[in-house]
Amino acid sequence: MSYWTAFILTLFSPVIGGFIYGLERIVRARMQGRVGPPLLQPFYDFFKLMDKRSIIIHSFHAFMGIMYLFGTWFALFVLLSGGDLLIAIFFHVLSLAFLVVGGFSVRSPYSVIGAMRELLHMVAYEPLYVLSAAALYLVTGTFQVSGILHSDHIPLVYLPLLFTAVLFSLPAILKKSPFDTAEAHQEIIGGPEIEYSGKFYEAIYTAKWIEYVYAFFFIFLFAGGNHILGALLTVLAFFFFNLLDNVTARVNFRQMVAFHWYILIPLAVTNLMLIALWRS
Amino acid sequence: MEKIVYSLFLVPWVLALAVFLLPGTHLHRLRQLITFLSLPLLSYLTYLVWNGHLPLQIETSHWLKLAFTVYDYGLLLYFLYQGIKFRDFLVTVLALFQLFLLTWVLLIMPESSVPDFYVDRLSAFMFLIVSTVGTLICIYATKYMEQENLERENRFVAILLWFLGVMNLAVSVNNVEWFFALFETTTLASYILIRFRWDEVSVRNALRALWMNQIGGIAILLGLLFGIKYYGFTHFTQFLSLSGKPAIIMIPLGFLAVSALVKGAQMPFHRWLLGAMVAPTPVSAILHSATMVKIAPYLILRLSPVIKGTLLAKLLIITTGFVFVSAGLLALTQENFKKILAYSTISLLGLMMLTASMGSSVAILASLTLILFHAVVKALLFMEAGIMEKLFKAKYIEDIRRLVERAPITVAFTSIGFMSMTIVPYGIFVSKWMAIEEASNFLSHGAYVGSIIFMATGGVILALLYFKVIGVMTRKRGEFLRFQLEKVPFVYLFSTVPLVLFVIVGSIFIAKLLALSINPVVEAVVGAPAPIMAKGLTLITPVSALYGWQIIGAFVLLLIVPILAYFVHFTGTDRVYEYTCGEKLELNIGTYNFFCIQVVEPFVETAAVALFVLTLVLGGGLV
Repeated sequence: MSYWTAFILTLFSPVIGGFIYGLERIVRARMQGRVGPPLLQPFYDFFKLMDKRSIIIHSFHAFMGIMYLFGTWFALFVLLSGGDLLIAIFFHVLSLAFLVVGGFSVRSPYSVIGAMRELLHMVAYEPLYVLSAAALYLVTGTFQVSGILHSDHIPLVYLPLLFTAVLFSLPAILKKSPFDTAEAHQEIIGGPEIEYSGKFYEAIYTAKWIEYVYAFFFIFLFAGGNHILGALLTVLAFFFFNLLDNVTARVNFRQMVAFHWYILIPLAVTNLMLIALWRS
Repeated sequence: MEKIVYSLFLVPWVLALAVFLLPGTHLHRLRQLITFLSLPLLSYLTYLVWNGHLPLQIETSHWLKLAFTVYDYGLLLYFLYQGIKFRDFLVTVLALFQLFLLTWVLLIMPESSVPDFYVDRLSAFMFLIVSTVGTLICIYATKYMEQENLERENRFVAILLWFLGVMNLAVSVNNVEWFFALFETTTLASYILIRFRWDEVSVRNALRALWMNQIGGIAILLGLLFGIKYYGFTHFTQFLSLSGKPAIIMIPLGFLAVSALVKGAQMPFHRWLLGAMVAPTPVSAILHSATMVKIAPYLILRLSPVIKGTLLAKLLIITTGFVFVSAGLLALTQENFKKILAYSTISLLGLMMLTASMGSSVAILASLTLILFHAVVKALLFMEAGIMEKLFKAKYIEDIRRLVERAPITVAFTSIGFMSMTIVPYGIFVSKWMAIEEASNFLSHGAYVGSIIFMATGGVILALLYFKVIGVMTRKRGEFLRFQLEKVPFVYLFSTVPLVLFVIVGSIFIAKLLALSINPVVEAVVGAPAPIMAKGLTLITPVSALYGWQIIGAFVLLLIVPILAYFVHFTGTDRVYEYTCGEKLELNIGTYNFFCIQVVEPFVETAAVALFVLTLVLGGGLV
């Protein structure tokens, strides 16, 4: 992917993410036997939020919210520009840092608890992503995203267990049930988001759309050079993820970390070791 | 050239003597000046060594050997005396055992004509760290002691300066017996420094540090003993000649590696380093960053060409990787700021030794980068811990709450220190990144799979830890109405600002730094430089690249944005109190302490003991 395509894709990623989010709300509603909101509902929300009176706690907090948006945006560009996959993963951590520091910076218990849980989310899914970068390297022979996208091998064929693990941790990265402890609307009312409002909440809201693009592009990578399969995979992952969101209840953070560390990571490691042994 | 190397040992000692002989409160300025001299002097000498012809082998006269032997006995007898004086059973017994082993070694030691000093680029690299970071800590210590106890300042600073000379000497000797002497001298130095306050806890912790490090000394002596028995080897260069030969007897190397694990405070021998926090903060700074614990990765790096690919190396990878993760986990349960830093040192030392044991050129490069950046960052963080303690009376995480409102500089420096240990694009991250990508090449070996799991999980645990602390510091009540920097004494700024600048500039120009400065060291250790390239700011590794624009982008996000955050004021918006879902309660917000992890501590220690024994028994070929 050239820099220009990457740049344009990144620039429009909030729009893409918004559509994905709109679609998600419809799909989830249909699964529950409801009609659901219109596809453009996220954008209507966007304009409504922009109209609201700006209320903030203090500028540092509000600024961190905006920087979370730019950090995520930049992380997405790093991923799409075809550079190193591991670097892109760690840039995602960097962008999360703003949300976390912002969440910590106000004296609101929900916000502080949410920020801490946000970090625990990272503890849960992050090793899995590092392992999948190593696994993709093992199959395609490169850490470069552009190389993986032009690879002759289809990583999915070699990495079924790892792919399953990544699929199951998708809710953790996007904060959806069963792994939505960081936001947990019924419990801590959005966690780090609670103290944002108006335009500043909009920034967080948009950043989350960008994270959708980020996460689903990661799924797309598992098809290697076969882009049609990649698209199919992403759509399937999208439906699976919504199904999971609908049928599961929230677990607590210990269960989340335990599930990732004791089930998903061993699954990924098994796959990694078998493929490495087979190759050697 | 020889004279320059000698003066690297002697200059700190002379300065130390000068400082020691100038007691009294009125001479404080003079002592400060003398201490300050160490920075330009040692840096210049190191510069000369770095640019000289390396490796340098220096033959020494016979009387020096005799002097070292006499010194050895004197040192061990002093340990024995301390053991008896404080009625410490372990210290006494271990000192006796060491005396016995030393005598045995001297009896069977063959005459050899191998030069006793061997200064290569790895030694010069260690000189570099000691003579910049180490001296800055000494300068810092003059101010710190002024605020603590001016009467004993001369002693304290003199010991620190003397320690620098010892450290320089320790990394340039070739004779293993001498190395033992200097290894135990650093033990002595840490012992004296830890008990410096002379209260009950200090003495107890100092004695613990003493006996644990004595075990390391015993391991060296045993390694030397078996080295003589099987090969007739008494020098490091002789051991290095074994590299590449199949089916070598690993016993001596196993013992030497174990001594490195002890010195590097790897579990189960981590408590001595934690105990060091009772001493004045510059002690922790110097033990954790420039000296003492850095002997451990140094020793592994020295031996890495020989142990590369052997079972010993693989077991070392697993053991140190395990420590990397579990020390990070245990750090989460701590509330004391210095203890958190101590655990993270243990953890990162594990990573340094892990990468050093991997032995390939890229891994060695990663290890050296880690050593360099860790030395700088840890020195910085401990200095900041000292500043918090002296200026803001903050020792625990609870005390540093909302520090950002009072002390923006301290918080900014501490945050840079913490972030540089985990996030892109700082030096420590780059080395971790290179290590993960290097380990991915060898995933058919269990040890390397282990290393990749450890690196992935350990890194994220440390990120959790650091952000927890940063989060507590940056909590605040309202707007920055008046932006006011706190008043930090000049000496404190003088010793911390260069470190911060190095971390930032070194990370921006990481590609150049690695390619031009650290790669020659790799060449000295492995025999061939790592296949990396610098193109502008872009770092190109064999399998991938870290682009300059990524580095710059991350710096804009991480460095400029937080500073900007002080000055951004959104006008035209309304300020409200926290919503907190409409609840009106008196709030006292703490942070997560992860006490739940304490449950696993016994298991972690048991596993660490098991791994330690496995490394020695299987890795050392004692089966």
